[in-house]
Amino acid sequence: MAKGSFVSKIYNSGPLILLYYLCISEVDTNFEKIFEFFTLNFQIILIYFWVLKRPEIMANGHIFLAGLINDVVMGFPLGISSLSYLIIIFVGTYVRNKSVNTTIASDWFTFFMAMVFSNLLFFSLLNNFSDLSFSLTKIGYNMFFTLFMFPIFWLIFNLYQLSFIGGRDA
Amino acid sequence: MSVSRDDFSIAFRSALLQRGGAQKFSVLSLIFLALFIFFIDVYGAKFTKPIRGLINDIVYRITFLASAPTRFFPEAKKDLSNYFNVKDENIRLRAEIEKYKLLQLNVEFLSDENKNLQKILETEYFNKNLSNIILAKVLVDKNSPFLKSIIINKGKKAGILKGMPVTKDNYLVGRVVDTNYLSSRVLLLNDLNSRIPVTLDQGAQAILSGSGSANPTLEYLPEDYEIAENINIFASGKDGIFSPGTPIGITSETGDVNLFVDPNQLSFVTVNLNTQTKGKF
Repeated sequence: MAKGSFVSKIYNSGPLILLYYLCISEVDTNFEKIFEFFTLNFQIILIYFWVLKRPEIMANGHIFLAGLINDVVMGFPLGISSLSYLIIIFVGTYVRNKSVNTTIASDWFTFFMAMVFSNLLFFSLLNNFSDLSFSLTKIGYNMFFTLFMFPIFWLIFNLYQLSFIGGRDA
Repeated sequence: MSVSRDDFSIAFRSALLQRGGAQKFSVLSLIFLALFIFFIDVYGAKFTKPIRGLINDIVYRITFLASAPTRFFPEAKKDLSNYFNVKDENIRLRAEIEKYKLLQLNVEFLSDENKNLQKILETEYFNKNLSNIILAKVLVDKNSPFLKSIIINKGKKAGILKGMPVTKDNYLVGRVVDTNYLSSRVLLLNDLNSRIPVTLDQGAQAILSGSGSANPTLEYLPEDYEIAENINIFASGKDGIFSPGTPIGITSETGDVNLFVDPNQLSFVTVNLNTQTKGKF
């Protein structure tokens, strides 16, 4: 029983461990070597899905901390990724409070809204409060591919949820 | 209608303020905390710099350790491939040694001639003080679509200052933009924020601008100048940061620059402590 509970805890912590690992390690979702513009923001897909489906396994404080780590590793001003992730949490929680049943299509649309708000805040803060400059084309491609890949990861995460965590509204 | 508005405000407030279960902090309180940290970091109060430096040093070390498995597999694959190609490699290297033996005589002659000519011109032989060049290991090389930078394992303790040029095999790869006590961040030449004054083979001056992609571009070339293929690009040194004549890359068919060093394949780099700068970056 205790062993089962421990394994279940590990499975439940999987998404959070993945989020921390993506923020702190060299692993990235930037596939420019394969295709010049193919980059995606995997962290926000991960956060949005789990905040929407199982908020109890993706605590706000952990997401905030992962954002701070991401800022240090990437060289952004501290707190900016956390803010961007918190906007994703906010939209995700709002959608969860307002909806009873969700489908892949509705999640996809609301994810688009969350990503737009989050990126708008992220890049406007960077643009106004730091010396870093960005290519709008790259931001556009990044958003496009993040949105494009969302349903694929939605299915993978749903499968993970059903197989290892136990379904609730998957 | 009013019910719908009530629903909206309840869901909105709940999303911002809800706690309980696994959520020990509300989104709103964390947003305020993130904004506070952001503005403290941006406006750089005096006490935040050493704290930020300490946090950077710790996180970079953890990142280096956490990335070890991702480095192991490509290295193992490379080692295995080298092992199977060792015989062919040996034959090729023997041929190359013969070739270089012949070239060495020529190089010695040219080197003497170069030194003599520099004496005549009374210019400083800028590479003579090799003791001021330090070797650094690349700790973190996280690829980002927006920022092209690396973290090296030498910082203020080793004498590294903001602005110092970073090279690999004497080819320029970037400059130091942020220093901590034990680590530094190097902005690579292909980053969108990188601008370097350069000289082309024929003596034309230009600015090498990072484009965010693998190949930087040349800007502010002389009027009516047409870029041809295979023109060597060197640092002009006009900014007082980079040693003049440091090779950077070669022009391609499309007019952008193929760097001599692949910015995605850096394991060790050298930092030139001779070139001291106190400019604003």
